[in-house]
Amino acid sequence: KKNMLDFFILGLFISPGSAVNTPVRRPVTRRSKSYGRSCVEPPSLFWQTPGHLTTLGHRIPTSRRAAKSHNITEKVDPEQVALLLDGEWKLSYVTPLFLFRHTQLKLYSKRLAAFIIAEKQQGVAVEVGLEAGFRVSFSAVLGMAETEEDAETISSRPVFGADGSKPVWQGWLTCVNGDPEYLRSLPPDFTSLPLFCSRGAESLSALVKSWFQRTFDCSFGALGLSSSTLHWLAALWTGCHPAAGIRYLKLGWTMPTQPPLDIEYSVDPQDAWELWNSVHKEDGADERISVDEVQSFINGLETHFFRHFKIYLSSGTLTKVSTALGSAHHHGKIKVITINSDYISTVLTLLTECALLKTPV
Amino acid sequence: MDEQARSILQRIIKKTPSKRLETIIRSWNCLSEDQLHSLNYSQPKWLFLENLVSRCEVRLFNGNVTKTEIKLYKNHIHNPNQGTWHACQLFQAEDDALSVHFTQFRESFIAHLEDVVQHVSVGMKKLEDGAIWVRIAWGDNFRKPNHLKPTYLVHYLQSSYVFIHNVTPKHRPFLYQALVLATRHVSIKECHLSSRSLTAMRDLLMKQYQQVVFLVLNIFPNTDPNIEREHAESSEGRHQMACEAFGCGVLPKLETAVYKLETRYRGNSNNTLNDGDELFRGVVKFSSKNILESLRHCVSTGMAEGPVTPLLSSITQKGRNYFVITDKVSGATASQTPAPKA
Repeated sequence: KKNMLDFFILGLFISPGSAVNTPVRRPVTRRSKSYGRSCVEPPSLFWQTPGHLTTLGHRIPTSRRAAKSHNITEKVDPEQVALLLDGEWKLSYVTPLFLFRHTQLKLYSKRLAAFIIAEKQQGVAVEVGLEAGFRVSFSAVLGMAETEEDAETISSRPVFGADGSKPVWQGWLTCVNGDPEYLRSLPPDFTSLPLFCSRGAESLSALVKSWFQRTFDCSFGALGLSSSTLHWLAALWTGCHPAAGIRYLKLGWTMPTQPPLDIEYSVDPQDAWELWNSVHKEDGADERISVDEVQSFINGLETHFFRHFKIYLSSGTLTKVSTALGSAHHHGKIKVITINSDYISTVLTLLTECALLKTPV
Repeated sequence: MDEQARSILQRIIKKTPSKRLETIIRSWNCLSEDQLHSLNYSQPKWLFLENLVSRCEVRLFNGNVTKTEIKLYKNHIHNPNQGTWHACQLFQAEDDALSVHFTQFRESFIAHLEDVVQHVSVGMKKLEDGAIWVRIAWGDNFRKPNHLKPTYLVHYLQSSYVFIHNVTPKHRPFLYQALVLATRHVSIKECHLSSRSLTAMRDLLMKQYQQVVFLVLNIFPNTDPNIEREHAESSEGRHQMACEAFGCGVLPKLETAVYKLETRYRGNSNNTLNDGDELFRGVVKFSSKNILESLRHCVSTGMAEGPVTPLLSSITQKGRNYFVITDKVSGATASQTPAPKA
């Protein structure tokens, strides 16, 4: 039996202003881990090989729930979701946090602020905007842990705009639909929030990461998006076309020629959807998308391209995918438009999994 | 000094490196020696501009300023921030087209343009390489010619190509008409070739790049000589194909090519879409510092399958970089690559 728990994102919010920490508005309750079976489908074959042993070993799901079946807005304040996701984020993975306590967010805010000040005084370059003091806030956005195993995510929008000042830096950590066996296998004092998204000055990102590393004995790494991840996103977004209107499906490759050649293929949205529809079988209530369908879809596009230009796109690298609903880049950047937050859960599940796959043992 | 002239002057001063400023201003011949000496070239440029403006006579300036801008423009023709050039071709030359020379062209062009557009300001300059640069500032009944947004036009007499930069749809017909009449042709058509680099387009259309075939040496590790020979043969074959399609040696620096696809779906053959009549629409854009070299490399390394599709070789063979691809009406089979149509 699955409990649709609250959406939970650990967020971090650095804004200019007085060096006073804003108290966390929402009460945070920690869900205790239970060790019952979760309802996430056990994977049967692997289709993605990380190439080295990672936290997920070789168990990767071959199918995912489709975008439509999640209505986040039913569970959480849509404004929070929108604030959370608007704009472009840089992705990293992070190893489990040791002795992280959801009840200590206020303390963490103070400590991080103090750390940043100390580093600044030591001459670590920090962008403008923090000269006149600044405010650090941690917060929890409740509402998106999908299973009992997911730790609650803590979000970056504590006061949700009430203070009026724009943040100079934002970030959030989350775990959505994380592999249950892995999560269960963590020692008791560890919390896994493997997906870290940030936006703002690189220098602040570096400071934040550094503080996390010291405080929770974790480490961060760059999270690039493999072509299979980009393929999933292309299929997911295309599938949303009837509901949300993707306006275009653009795929970008880079060919390793001298000089390098960029190829951008922009497909008419209706035609892309027809192609997707022809390979994807709708099967009732719990609609799943299988990896075979995604591959068929992409192969269709690549073959159509090949018949015209005789160029093997597979000899290049798929670097980006975009639609009006979002874009993703293979260097680890993602942008999600919150016109329709229905598919956020699926996207975050996918990204959480990418993060877990990348996280070294 | 009026706003426009000042803006142009400002633009020139901003773009010119400080060490060349003195030479340029001196060449305008509108300041006395004393005035020239009193200028301080190490000042920040905005201050320098003020000092210059306070010393100058407007009248003498305008002509020189526009000529200088042409010169600067020419020196910056590789600058990617200069916007896009479009190529056009003149057709059906009259008997006396070949004998048109610069002065005749200039008088005729200006006369015809002034016939149809009130308040237009035209500057023209012939450069050493034979290119005629034309700078047109457009006005109308209510406004003086706008020198801040001039149209540039480059034409090589005795060739049929014209390169145009920054003309509005409203003014284009007037420009075309004046061109056709002044060059003694009957019609003009767009070439579907556009680029930020004027030189690339010119070289591509006027085939001014090397057609020399050069030998390619491949060095393989010590393996079976038969394998080596086979590799060498197929690799040479690919190189040959690549050179035939795109040219050899240094290729013009074209940066983009765009294909609008309006063909039926040609993906996996067991898909129901293959049976339909509907189009699978899309746009493919190739971009690179030099797409011709990149594409040639694709072919020579096997990233592209031979024989080279006419869609790609048409860039050099036909001198264009915008194509609309439709299915051939008769005799088309599922596996046949459609030919590019205008």
